[in-house]
Amino acid sequence: MTVESVSVNKVRNVLLVSVPPDPEDGIISSLQEKILDSMERYHDLQGLIIDISMVDTMDSYFARTIIETAEMVRLMGGLTIVAGMAPSVAITATQLGLTFENLSTALDVDLALDMMLEKKGVGVFGENY
Amino acid sequence: MKIIDSDSQGQTEIKAESDMVAVRKIVRERAQTLGFSMTEVTKVVTAASELARNIYRYADKGIMKWYLLRRDSQQGLELEFVDNGPGIDNVELAMSPGFSTAKGLGLGLSGAKRLMDEMELDSRSGQGTRVVIRKWVSNAR
Repeated sequence: MTVESVSVNKVRNVLLVSVPPDPEDGIISSLQEKILDSMERYHDLQGLIIDISMVDTMDSYFARTIIETAEMVRLMGGLTIVAGMAPSVAITATQLGLTFENLSTALDVDLALDMMLEKKGVGVFGENY
Repeated sequence: MKIIDSDSQGQTEIKAESDMVAVRKIVRERAQTLGFSMTEVTKVVTAASELARNIYRYADKGIMKWYLLRRDSQQGLELEFVDNGPGIDNVELAMSPGFSTAKGLGLGLSGAKRLMDEMELDSRSGQGTRVVIRKWVSNAR
């Protein structure tokens, strides 16, 4: 699997990222670079939705990279929403001791888009919808 | 307690980043075969991922051995992570949440312990590390 197989799509003012079920460490870290590059390249990007609904294992490395990425995107002026965490992953992450206090989350991508609209005033319908 | 036949044990090397994916795959398959719930499978796979990463990060290489367990009517899975790396200076400190010497959250050992039923850690500075974790399939299902 290469990082090219991870889908990163700009939809209007939002960057949509789908994480594959069991990514290698290298894919996770290059995904971070890809996201930050996109933030720089598209000046109209207001935020990022990371869809992890396919992910079946999230260990501390994976979580740390996501938390870090969200902080970097925030420093660049964007909002990150993590969408679709499976119940088994949420239970495991909490028992592992992970904390996602500063991370916005949503049940699925649909609700994440609603949240983006609410917080940033944008969504897939564009600005000032 | 260990079932000793060729189908009930195995091992895999950990020496590259991609081996962590292999470890997760093997552990997932074994745990699913034993009948763990989806959440229990996720816990075991996540604990294995943390320990495999510790080997790759601190010791460069090592192995994971797996064994199917039986105790009375209960079935379980044992994973053993062995390396000849630098070992751990202070096992008690290394087990405390938040402790980390490398780039990480410091949750590897303490987190793996919380996700499993049993954990044993054997290590001395300069003499490598051996970590054994076990989880039993709960009967109340």
